[in-house]
Amino acid sequence: MSRKGVGLAAFDRSRLTSAQFASHGNSLRNTNAQALETQLSVFKSLLQQFAQTHAKDIRSNPSFRAQFARMCSAIGVDPLASSSSAGAGSSSVWAQLLGRSVNDFYFELAVRVVEVCGATRGENGGLIGVKELRERVMRGRMEGAPEVTEDDVLRAVGTLKPLGSSFSVVKVGNKPYIRSVPKELSTDQSAVLEAVQVLGYVSVSMLIVNLRWTRPRSQTVIEDLLGEGMLWVDKQAEEWEYWSPGFMMSAEGAGTG
Amino acid sequence: MSTPAAAASGAAPTTFDFPREYHFPPFFTRQTNVNTHRAQLEKWSSLVLAYCAHHKLYKLSLSASAASNNNNNNNDESPSGGAEDLFHNRKLNRRLSTADAREVLEFMRKEGRAEFVGGGDGSSSGREGGGGAVAWIYWKTPEEWAKEIESWVDETAQKGTVLTLYELTQGEDTRGSTFHGLDPDLLQKALQVLVKRGKAQIFGQEDSQGVKFF
Repeated sequence: MSRKGVGLAAFDRSRLTSAQFASHGNSLRNTNAQALETQLSVFKSLLQQFAQTHAKDIRSNPSFRAQFARMCSAIGVDPLASSSSAGAGSSSVWAQLLGRSVNDFYFELAVRVVEVCGATRGENGGLIGVKELRERVMRGRMEGAPEVTEDDVLRAVGTLKPLGSSFSVVKVGNKPYIRSVPKELSTDQSAVLEAVQVLGYVSVSMLIVNLRWTRPRSQTVIEDLLGEGMLWVDKQAEEWEYWSPGFMMSAEGAGTG
Repeated sequence: MSTPAAAASGAAPTTFDFPREYHFPPFFTRQTNVNTHRAQLEKWSSLVLAYCAHHKLYKLSLSASAASNNNNNNNDESPSGGAEDLFHNRKLNRRLSTADAREVLEFMRKEGRAEFVGGGDGSSSGREGGGGAVAWIYWKTPEEWAKEIESWVDETAQKGTVLTLYELTQGEDTRGSTFHGLDPDLLQKALQVLVKRGKAQIFGQEDSQGVKFF
């Protein structure tokens, strides 16, 4: 190789070597891609196997399902991603893999959530506690249907995100609620709803004493919430009481005692 | 109605399971929000229907149920209180006012699940006795009763035979059928449905009527 290429052939030779390098690079890249592809397909088939063998567990065992979802998010895949534009290819693979097991579970649940929200909107103004929502979903299910946890409900609501912002999770105090009307709660409204959680109801004087609000402020907030349909008024108490419709669920125990 | 005492012992009235909302104090106050109020009416409507179906009450008297007097004239088979505890939750000390109860019945009338005795829409003070309107509660509508009577006649192969109205609701043969003990006036309504369809014909006088099915 010490010989200097001085003749015309040298041009040919350099062209030849660069071509050889290029082809070699190509083949390297190909094998690399092939190796990756096989790895991916192995991974896919393993996942498929896993999803298939454990589909029943995933559907029926809430804690297993939560673990599975956690594992998926740990390795950077969202089992629920359905139509995100970014990873269209990979997400459709997921839908394909888990189509009949996990994805459907949450989509079915999401449909039930939407139904319950719609059916109860009249009585609760479009704000329903996750706990209550779960109870209603469970009541509507057939005997032997897999159990649903609050975590599942929250995840199912997450799947509704692509449909716009009409369904979302809001926290009032430390209780999660599902909001199915496009309405933001003001700080005062949240404060009242949080206070309601304690006894199931509030009165104007309770707000004055406990939140140190003025009477007009307390009255305004309560009027607002009544107007939204998020509270029910009981005029037969000594002082008018304003009840959370969520307490209709547990009233049997608490209200009669 | 003059039900023999024996009929009362036939079905020992079990206690009615009130729904959750019955234990919710604001349920007895008319809600101010339109949507909430509608939800409230719907809940009351299904409660009234379930309650009447459970106690086999065919009529509901507002004065008897809202005020807590015991001598309701609805149905002897019902427990002595009648519909007394329907609009009045003693435990909570909450009561649905007569006006609000009337509104519930009016709502049910629009849904085809109630009808004020003597017609009218209930908002005009009832023609019968002052403020106490009485309403039919259709946990089964006359059409539905008619259907059940028709299929019973069909099953027992009594087409073409003449039955007395008394037999139909109080006779031994209908014991166990859903319309056993049916209010005579409601029975008339149901039979009229069949008459209109040409499926039945009613004979006889006021107190000894018979019906023939085709």
